[in-house]
Amino acid sequence: MLKIKNLKADIDSKSILNNFNLEIKPGEVHAIMGPNGSGKSTLSNILSGKKGYNVSGEVLFENKNLFELETEERAHKGIFLAFQYPLEIPGVNTNIFLKTSLNAIRKANGEKELDAIEFLKLVKLKAKNLKFDEEKLNRQLNVGFSGGEKKKNEILQMSILNPKLSILDETDSGLDIDALKTVADGVNSLRKKDNSFLIITHYQRLLDYIKPDYVHVLMNGKIIKSGGPELALELENKGYENFN
Amino acid sequence: MEEQLKIDFEKLLEKSNFSKKNIEIKRKNFNNFIEKGFPNKREENWKFSDLNQIISKNIKNLSFYNDLSKPNKIDQSTFIDGLEHNKLVFVNGRIEKIEFDYEEKNNIEILDDLVLEIPNNVNNSLLFLNNAFVSKFFKLIIKKNYSLKKPLVIYNITNKDLVSKSINLKFDILLEENSSLKLIEFSNDKSTTNFININYNFDVKKNSILKNYKIDNNPNSNIKYYFNNINQDTNSVSEIFLLSSGSEFIKNEINCDLNGKYASAFVNGVFLLNGSKHHEIKTNINHLVENTKSYQLIKSVLEDESKAVYQGKIFVDSKAQKTDGYQLSKAILLNDNTEFNAKPELEIYADDVKCSHGSSSGSLNEDSIFYLMSRGLNYKEAKKLLINGFLLDVVEKITDSEIKNLIKNIMSLKQ
Repeated sequence: MLKIKNLKADIDSKSILNNFNLEIKPGEVHAIMGPNGSGKSTLSNILSGKKGYNVSGEVLFENKNLFELETEERAHKGIFLAFQYPLEIPGVNTNIFLKTSLNAIRKANGEKELDAIEFLKLVKLKAKNLKFDEEKLNRQLNVGFSGGEKKKNEILQMSILNPKLSILDETDSGLDIDALKTVADGVNSLRKKDNSFLIITHYQRLLDYIKPDYVHVLMNGKIIKSGGPELALELENKGYENFN
Repeated sequence: MEEQLKIDFEKLLEKSNFSKKNIEIKRKNFNNFIEKGFPNKREENWKFSDLNQIISKNIKNLSFYNDLSKPNKIDQSTFIDGLEHNKLVFVNGRIEKIEFDYEEKNNIEILDDLVLEIPNNVNNSLLFLNNAFVSKFFKLIIKKNYSLKKPLVIYNITNKDLVSKSINLKFDILLEENSSLKLIEFSNDKSTTNFININYNFDVKKNSILKNYKIDNNPNSNIKYYFNNINQDTNSVSEIFLLSSGSEFIKNEINCDLNGKYASAFVNGVFLLNGSKHHEIKTNINHLVENTKSYQLIKSVLEDESKAVYQGKIFVDSKAQKTDGYQLSKAILLNDNTEFNAKPELEIYADDVKCSHGSSSGSLNEDSIFYLMSRGLNYKEAKKLLINGFLLDVVEKITDSEIKNLIKNIMSLKQ
């Protein structure tokens, strides 16, 4: 599904990713762990098409060169980024935003757009599963939401858009145990044989709830070690500094 | 221009039958205007909008006499659809229709042969011009305890026959005790390069409510000046909303005197400008007695080389304890050639008051755009959603839900 070969990324001539390689197959869950400044967020930004990076190498998503696609085209193809810091958008109703987003993606894929009633049915169901306060759906997008609510809102969007590849950028940061479990349940309910996940995190904690197939350790812009879930535990015990 | 003014003024007096008193007053106003001329940037109030220069740059051969002897056709398609309303229709400055079909006739009075005035605000030459050249001075009286059942729409329509003219209109609106009026001023201009000078005087008596919505939305090359004077008695409310977007230049000046306890004034506005448009709002909210409240919120979205100006003043008299005054302006500048000027002023002589002001301007937040695009919206859609969200906040302040919906429709803000 996703093939990254020799990815190199600079920002303001500062090298962030270097010789980065990763392959994710359909249905797999990969976790990337790394210390602050290792390039984790840069990776998620580049995959979703944020401007401002100087990139080289190759990133293929379902055999298409990702660098040729605009951010919204990547979303249409099924890439979703759950933001580390979801933005507050004043004046934009959450429900309206979700509907606009879903219909933009459906339209781009030649599917019928949902009308208001069909959409509300869907969103109510998904919100209920995530224990997301329905009343918040009528509020301005993320405005006045707590940190946990913002993160839940990201997972809600993910479950509505049903992407092929979901990238979770430190979704666990700022969540209490209950919220973490709800978020993890949301992710787990989306695990299917065609849906893949890239989970970016500092801590092993989230991986207790979302069992990854592979764990990669990212340091100084490249993966220094890959392994199974046990690698996360090893990291947790040793710390990043002693890992090398 | 002075030569033209004199010729046109004499022509106006000759062709109309003003009372002797009014002719005398008109002459004084005329002489005052000749002496002062159009305002320019040397005057503090006009430092961001040099009207003298704007007029000479945009209008060739401005003339001041306007033949009102023949009726003009009204283009019915101009009328607001889907809203039952009363009408006052002006076409090219001539009153063409007065229709209060929804109201009890004995509770409304319209006068049009009033004695003019010599404004005591000697600094405002445009009021002199208005009094000198206005042909009919209208007064609308809403009687005690009467609330209009439907909104009144004042249509200011100009058609393509009108070129390089100065149009002057003058209204007094009196809301007697316990009355209320929803007034929409709706401009529709197909004319080119005229100078339109409109003077409103609202007298809002005890417990009365004035809601005034000014909509200028269709693109045109006219230069406009509105002077709105509002005098408020005890426990009265005024709510003004501006959609300032269509004309080449507009300056809306609002002077509001809160003369009775518990009076409150709300001024909310949206500037949506492109091309070389230049719009200004200048407010003077005067808190003159205890326990009065004012609230102002102005938002601008500027494209191309457009320019918006907000000069907002809150004055608090030494008697006006417990004043609550607030103003905020925000602007989104969509490119480097746009300009937003804000000049907040607080002049406070009382010590137990709550007053605040704020102003910010900047470009659209690229991170927000990225966030929306990552959810499948293209750049244009993301930008539109953000701008609409930014503006919606002001439109939501409109307290009349029917008119709020109308304005959302006009601004394509319906979600």
